[in-house]
Amino acid sequence: MSDEIVVRVFDVVGSPLCVSADDGQSVHDKVAPLLREGRRVAMSFDKVETLISAFLNAAIGQLYGEFPEERIRQLLSVRDMTNEDLVLLKRVVDNAKLYFQNRKQFDQAWKEELGDEE
Amino acid sequence: MIHYLPPNLLGNFRGFEDLAILAEDARELFSNRLEVDFSRCASFDPNMAAPLGAVLADIADRFNTIEIVGVPTVIERILRKNRFLVMYGYSPIEEETSTAIPLRRIQLSDEGLFAEYIQQHIGGKGIPSISDALGRVLRQSIFEVFQNAVIHSQSRLGVFVCGQFLPLEQRLQLTVADAGIGIQANVRQFLGREVSAPDALRWVLEAGNTTKIGAQPGGVGLKFLKEFISLNRGKLQIASGRGYYGFSDNDETFSGLTGDFPGTTVNLQINSADTNAYGSKYEISPDDIF
Repeated sequence: MSDEIVVRVFDVVGSPLCVSADDGQSVHDKVAPLLREGRRVAMSFDKVETLISAFLNAAIGQLYGEFPEERIRQLLSVRDMTNEDLVLLKRVVDNAKLYFQNRKQFDQAWKEELGDEE
Repeated sequence: MIHYLPPNLLGNFRGFEDLAILAEDARELFSNRLEVDFSRCASFDPNMAAPLGAVLADIADRFNTIEIVGVPTVIERILRKNRFLVMYGYSPIEEETSTAIPLRRIQLSDEGLFAEYIQQHIGGKGIPSISDALGRVLRQSIFEVFQNAVIHSQSRLGVFVCGQFLPLEQRLQLTVADAGIGIQANVRQFLGREVSAPDALRWVLEAGNTTKIGAQPGGVGLKFLKEFISLNRGKLQIASGRGYYGFSDNDETFSGLTGDFPGTTVNLQINSADTNAYGSKYEISPDDIF
């Protein structure tokens, strides 16, 4: 099970434009089950021309709500990205880590609030 | 009901204020007739056709008939070239050398159509005199704006998008307007408390803030847009509900609008002569992402 699986984003989206959250969700839905099985996944952005944060939030950012950071770091890699797109992805990833960290705190606050009422 | 447009309807605070007043005046109009009279209007920024289109679509959605009358010849030519008036029965003016990026109404579900529109008109075969690097970042920015509308606006009436290239000023204007629920309603619902429209705009423009509550994080797109505008020395305007935001020369203003502007309009004014490479200052390794 240690062989790396290459997920070609262009093939999943069917276009060089990665500009929609729905398309990002399709990529996520390909990748997440593989990570769940403990497989190593390389996402290739070969032939991708335009990439936006809304796509990356759906494709990669939301993985931080499903898997521990350590597991993602171990199993997931990206390739064939320009430096500009890597910078954008880094930003999306850092933002996702904060988002889920804050959400946990937010959910905890709500739980405490509801717990107080019970 | 007759509504006279003001002498100048320009892409500035006053212009959005005037459109908000039009929306407010027609708020109670139901199954009736609205005559939008241009006869007092001496100048009209073509990019304001997008928010005007959204405001009028919102009014028409309440079973009202819209008629556009008294359009001065110069403005008529501009608005037939950018096809705003074609929606109201006028014939289009086609020109090989037109600098107008035509007005299109696109449903939120038609993401492919929006992509085609942008590919056709921005860079490549479209407006010629921008660098490849600028074209790339501009396309990213405009897709971010459209995705924001798709994700947050709930606009049943779709979005209105148009643009104008101003060769002498070396400026490219692009405007995306939706007729959805607006930023204030989204922020109020998310925070669970009352928040003013300018404060709602201030909140969404803070890094990391997003009204998304689902599995997908957010809060990067608008910040990306603002950084781009800053580097490009362009202008960004956002009008939503009773809030207005303006950003240029690294100076930002948050103001209240008198009327309730339907949905959200994002207006970008780009310095088309910009030769920035838009590369990052630092190299990042694919191994250093996660």
